[in-house]
Amino acid sequence: MFVIVFSRGTANGAKMASLAKVVNISRAINNVSQLFTNLTISPSIKCTSVLVSQLRVPRYGCAYVHTTPRRRALMEFFDDAKNWGEFDIKVGRAWRKDELRIKSNEDLHKLWFVLLKERNMLLTMEHAAKKDLEIFPNPERKYKVEESMSNLETVVRERNKAYHLLETGEDGERPGKLVHNQLGMMYYYRMCEHTIPKFMNNKWRQKYKFGYSGNAVHKFRKLYREKLWNEKRKARNRDRNHVMHLMKRFPNLDLEAVKEQYPDVDIENLKSQKKARGHFVPQ
Amino acid sequence: MSTRWYPIYQKGNPQLRIFLPNFWMKLVAPDFRQPESVVQFHCSMEMTKTDIQNYLTKIYNIDIVKVRTRIALGRFVKEPQRQYIMKLDDVKVAYVTLPKDQKFTFPDLFPKDKKNTTIKDGEKSLEDMKNSFKNYLDRNKERPGMPNWYTI
Repeated sequence: MFVIVFSRGTANGAKMASLAKVVNISRAINNVSQLFTNLTISPSIKCTSVLVSQLRVPRYGCAYVHTTPRRRALMEFFDDAKNWGEFDIKVGRAWRKDELRIKSNEDLHKLWFVLLKERNMLLTMEHAAKKDLEIFPNPERKYKVEESMSNLETVVRERNKAYHLLETGEDGERPGKLVHNQLGMMYYYRMCEHTIPKFMNNKWRQKYKFGYSGNAVHKFRKLYREKLWNEKRKARNRDRNHVMHLMKRFPNLDLEAVKEQYPDVDIENLKSQKKARGHFVPQ
Repeated sequence: MSTRWYPIYQKGNPQLRIFLPNFWMKLVAPDFRQPESVVQFHCSMEMTKTDIQNYLTKIYNIDIVKVRTRIALGRFVKEPQRQYIMKLDDVKVAYVTLPKDQKFTFPDLFPKDKKNTTIKDGEKSLEDMKNSFKNYLDRNKERPGMPNWYTI
């Protein structure tokens, strides 16, 4: 078990200390378990009876088993030293959703921190390159990490939703609703918790004013709706004329395909139109 | 707290825990000369000093003595062609003090000797291109004007 818990603002000293202890202990356990797994899995170990006191010295044909965690600390913000000054750094692709869906929550939690560190590293290297007027090699690495992170978050959110739906019948997402602003335009208001009720919360009431009224707003809404309608009407007429011209020009037109591409156009009605009459030698 | 939405914290409630923080931090070369134990970072604007300390100790396993932050104002720059004024983004700068016995110097990320070799690589590819073109010309000496896809 290796859990990184990140706490906010009001840090409680004793709590933090105990938490750090727990993390340290869990890390130690993790190391020990890793040691066992390494010993069992590694194929190139020669089975010879060795005294426990001699285990400290690497005697196997394989790599020496490390029992202390790697502590690169601040150097984790930088790429591997061998990649410094390179023009081309080869990397793989981003994590896909389907791959993440079969992982356990614990694995996802670990992977998140790996990705977070990777992103920090890339940001650091990019900043350094920009400052030194150098080329930042393979900037698409950044997008790959970001894609992986958003995929991971989607998967976690899916699980969260499923859990909440099962337990409470609600999806547990941040609640919101469609509201009108003062100009009568609709937008999605995302709700949040407040310490005091709405009628006492002057600041909130000044900031969020829902609903509209007044002559000017109604006039604006009428004109705005007219504008939207005109756009729609023009698009409709454009499609209709386009289809009529296609019918006029091409004798072997596949009407089914046209119907599929322009579902709003009534082709049966257009056949009787003068504009749609064929302009080619009759066959 | 990360930039995502969390329930409001009221006194006496259990402490908020963040399982997937989406804060970013980047280690930058110091603008001015700093003591050897001070490291300069740029970080998410939402981060507080405590956040920064927790982030570095819990995720990166770094010992920290003190964190100071400031918000650096983004510069105003003139667009060279159209002459309108743009404001660059503000950035939160964190100065993190390590324990007395630890030192950090910003590494040289673009070593000069490596740069020379990469330039040589470029010259090499140019040489290759020249050679291949020469080969192509030699092959088609007898039949000028033949397109290059005609023979293998």
